[in-house]
Amino acid sequence: MKAPSAPLHAAAAGVGLRAPHVAQVRSERPRVAWFEVHSENYYAAGGPALAALDDIRRDYPLSLHGVGMSLGATDPLDYVHLGKLRRLIARTEPVLVSEHLCWSGVGGRHLNDLLPLPYTEEALAHVCRRVAEVQDALGRELLVENVSSYLAFADATIPEWEFVAAVARRTGCKLLLDVNNIYVNAVNHGFDADAYLAAIPADAIAEIHLAGFDASGPCLIDTHGAPVAADVWALYGRAIDRYGPRPTLIEWDTDIPPFATLQREAATAQAMIEKHDAVAA
Amino acid sequence: MPSLRELQQDFAGALFAADGTAPVFAIVGPAIATERIAIYRTAMFANYRKALGATYAAVRRLVGTPFFNAAVDEFVRAHASTSGDLNVYGDEFGNFLAAYPHARDLPYLPDVARLEWAIDEAQRAADFTRAPEAVLAALAAVPPEELASVRFHLDPSCRLVASAFPILRIWQVNQADHEGDDTVDLDAGADALLVRREAAGVSLSQQAPGEHAFVAALAAGAPLGEALDAAQGAAAAFDLGATLRKHIASGTIVGVRIA
Repeated sequence: MKAPSAPLHAAAAGVGLRAPHVAQVRSERPRVAWFEVHSENYYAAGGPALAALDDIRRDYPLSLHGVGMSLGATDPLDYVHLGKLRRLIARTEPVLVSEHLCWSGVGGRHLNDLLPLPYTEEALAHVCRRVAEVQDALGRELLVENVSSYLAFADATIPEWEFVAAVARRTGCKLLLDVNNIYVNAVNHGFDADAYLAAIPADAIAEIHLAGFDASGPCLIDTHGAPVAADVWALYGRAIDRYGPRPTLIEWDTDIPPFATLQREAATAQAMIEKHDAVAA
Repeated sequence: MPSLRELQQDFAGALFAADGTAPVFAIVGPAIATERIAIYRTAMFANYRKALGATYAAVRRLVGTPFFNAAVDEFVRAHASTSGDLNVYGDEFGNFLAAYPHARDLPYLPDVARLEWAIDEAQRAADFTRAPEAVLAALAAVPPEELASVRFHLDPSCRLVASAFPILRIWQVNQADHEGDDTVDLDAGADALLVRREAAGVSLSQQAPGEHAFVAALAAGAPLGEALDAAQGAAAAFDLGATLRKHIASGTIVGVRIA
């Protein structure tokens, strides 16, 4: 494994880079600690998107965040997909590589969405085998992210937080803890978000995600289309009090605002990280 | 209790069931099952509408978003996505539109879709460094008696799209940044387009019928002799030397394969 050319500071706030902002980032080189992109958007063999990523990669640490590996699916792992991720990792030397703790297809049909797993012993054993398989195929540590969900399965036997912690413990993978998703699920399923935080081992957490949700429906929906909510900022503050600061990412995927808005959200996270560091020192 | 696989099969079935149909697996709070599965159903179809809307922007502009979204929903039901990379989904949309009853009055629509897919593929194709002098030198070294059996490598981004309709003009006036006259004469004649990614972006160039048949044959892997037959079949006055020189110089042809 090659070392990344630009190390990621242990505690810095980055921004999820989306297509509408690529040209601006290339021309203005804004002050951003690091960028994360969706891996699949760079699975092409060549072309302008990949060339732009190469260019940005020269000046910023990069994280690859996959949305399509379908870690929890019962179909065999897609080794073509995995091969494209390997190729992209070799090309961009990312500091972090992550996927979601979910399933996305069955019976040969991909559903291209982050679908919830039943938190059962069977699902836990299955997803742990798959995480291990991906880590073996990539030859590196994977980060696995907790997802939002809008329903809970009646047959579940394990609280979500225990399931997430067990995946890390059993496979040695790291966690990408999405604090917004914890908040959304706490509201949707009626559990205590702080009890969730308390169950996750600090040394497993390699990254934190923050995003905005939509509260206009029958439950909270993780749209990544709004500013981080005040309650989520507060939960984030308690998370870094508990774990210590972690690389933190602002995600925004629908109704994408001007880049400066993302920078302001990242600056808020950065200020909270620095405040924590000052208190800790 | 269903197995993980059975649960996932039921979940997928519920996503494609009619709106209002309850899932068959048990969820916490059965009264909200229909409403909550509908959230996933809505999100899934929205993902596909957005992804195909980005690829097929001119088609969407031609038919309007409500029509487009309804067509995408039908397409998704008929053509399963098989990759976790949504960027490669939708190659069959042109063929789907050709058989879509609601698009019957827009006979050019499938070809506009095929053109947009070709552009999308060209954007994602492997990078290639052009070296026309090396191609010419390799060709010059071939003994004359072997020329007919020579095959060529084309730039990986090359795609060929032909239509009985003026799809280039239709596509151009349906770009978001198009200004000025947007009328199209549907009887303006057939198009034979070479789609290729250049340094500055994807180019769409109109080809003569013989030229199009020639490049299409080369793209399909035919040897020079067969490609020449195809070109002459399409246009008796086909000029082999000029066409070869043009496509080597412009970088359509990037390599020579001698059997």
